Amino acid sequence: MTTEQNTHFGFKTVAETEKAKKVAEVFHSVANKYDLMNDVMSAGLHRSWKRFAVSISGVSPGDKVLDIAGGSGDLSKLFAQKVGPEGQVILTDINASMLGVGRDRMLDAGLNVPAMQCDAEKLPFPDQYFDCVIVAFGLRNMTHKDKALAEMQRVLKVGGRLLVLEFSKVWQPLSKAYDVYSFKLLPLMGKLLAKDADSYQYLAESIRMHPDQETLKQMMVDAGLSKVDYYNLAAGVVALHKGYKT
Amino acid sequence: MFKSMSTHVLQHLIAQNTWACSLLQPFAGKSVRITIAPVSSDLVILEDGSLAVAGETNVPDACINIAPSLLLRLLAKDEAAKLQIEITGDTHLATALAKVFSHLRWDYEDDLSKLVGDVPANKIGSFARSSVQNLKDAGFNIASMLSEYWQEEKPMLAKKRHVDQFNSEVDRLRSDVERFEKRLQKLDKISDTKLNSSKANEIHMNEISPTPHNQVTDSAK
Repeated sequence: MTTEQNTHFGFKTVAETEKAKKVAEVFHSVANKYDLMNDVMSAGLHRSWKRFAVSISGVSPGDKVLDIAGGSGDLSKLFAQKVGPEGQVILTDINASMLGVGRDRMLDAGLNVPAMQCDAEKLPFPDQYFDCVIVAFGLRNMTHKDKALAEMQRVLKVGGRLLVLEFSKVWQPLSKAYDVYSFKLLPLMGKLLAKDADSYQYLAESIRMHPDQETLKQMMVDAGLSKVDYYNLAAGVVALHKGYKT
Repeated sequence: MFKSMSTHVLQHLIAQNTWACSLLQPFAGKSVRITIAPVSSDLVILEDGSLAVAGETNVPDACINIAPSLLLRLLAKDEAAKLQIEITGDTHLATALAKVFSHLRWDYEDDLSKLVGDVPANKIGSFARSSVQNLKDAGFNIASMLSEYWQEEKPMLAKKRHVDQFNSEVDRLRSDVERFEKRLQKLDKISDTKLNSSKANEIHMNEISPTPHNQVTDSAK
């Protein structure tokens, strides 16, 4: 049972102050092979999910976009192409190793995308600054999801959109097969490819502990967003939530 | 997967028809449910004026219902069929979207040119257009030939003037029957009134002369 001072770290219960440290360890460990593992685990689907998120964002040239927990910078790159030179994309991540990978990639691609290390629960941006805020595969690692969502809502302009792309609850008939994949195959692939079974065990557990589609929708509404809707991708393995600041 | 692909196709079409963006942009964030029974799909207008398939829990701001029987007429550009489309909710939004769909054109030559180059794409496009036209002409010719054969040589189909004549005779017959029905009703009414008055007279006669009536009844026994 989670108390005020405790929270989940996968299936384990840890002190709130420890979670960020433990998540950081996981991502320090996987940073270099993060994209390779994503491609293997999702059979390359994570790229199409990210492209879909960008196509649903409604971002147009000149817009300001904040990419939270952007890690290796896949989304920042797509958004930078969409907003053009007159727009602005800011890549952020709490983890320095992941952010380093993303920053280097932006530079290699010749994109002017500032990379900032910051905590999503305390965003260093003014109120009503961004047209679109996106967090992809990052929310489930945050200790206080409600605080993070409220912060994202704060930095959005009126009419701005918050997009949350995250693992979710899979379609019931597939749940057994998905369990086998998550708890048997995933750690094995982590062990073979990234030499790190524990981190991928955490990944599978954290997915199970993350709120399902309807719960996350309600959390976004509670954070002050309206017209919240979601898309189930790959039979609910992943869900894309979209809400508006009004 | 379906939503992702449909959204991609819609956005590609809107990108080719830039006029549609400015028409849809004022309705950003709103959604429309299009129903062609038994299929229905929710579309949402994005902030950049493009379209996307809506999510799982979308509540539409407008609904467009198209009867399946209207679909062929709409495809054949029948203007009268457009008036029969049922629109509920935000009618401005639904009308704008209907306008976009009726004028949306797929510039397939442009897409093809990215694969094979401009000149071959144009040639393929021209060939495809002339082939379609030839097919249409051939289809029309075959249909005309068959109808002529079945009307003149081996009559299986009725000629238009015969059908019109038959229809007008049916109309006349229907009017005659209706008139006849009215007359019958009128006659029924008259006979009912007469019957009631004769019964009333009989009762009245019985009341004023009961004895002879009893006698007649007794003798009958």
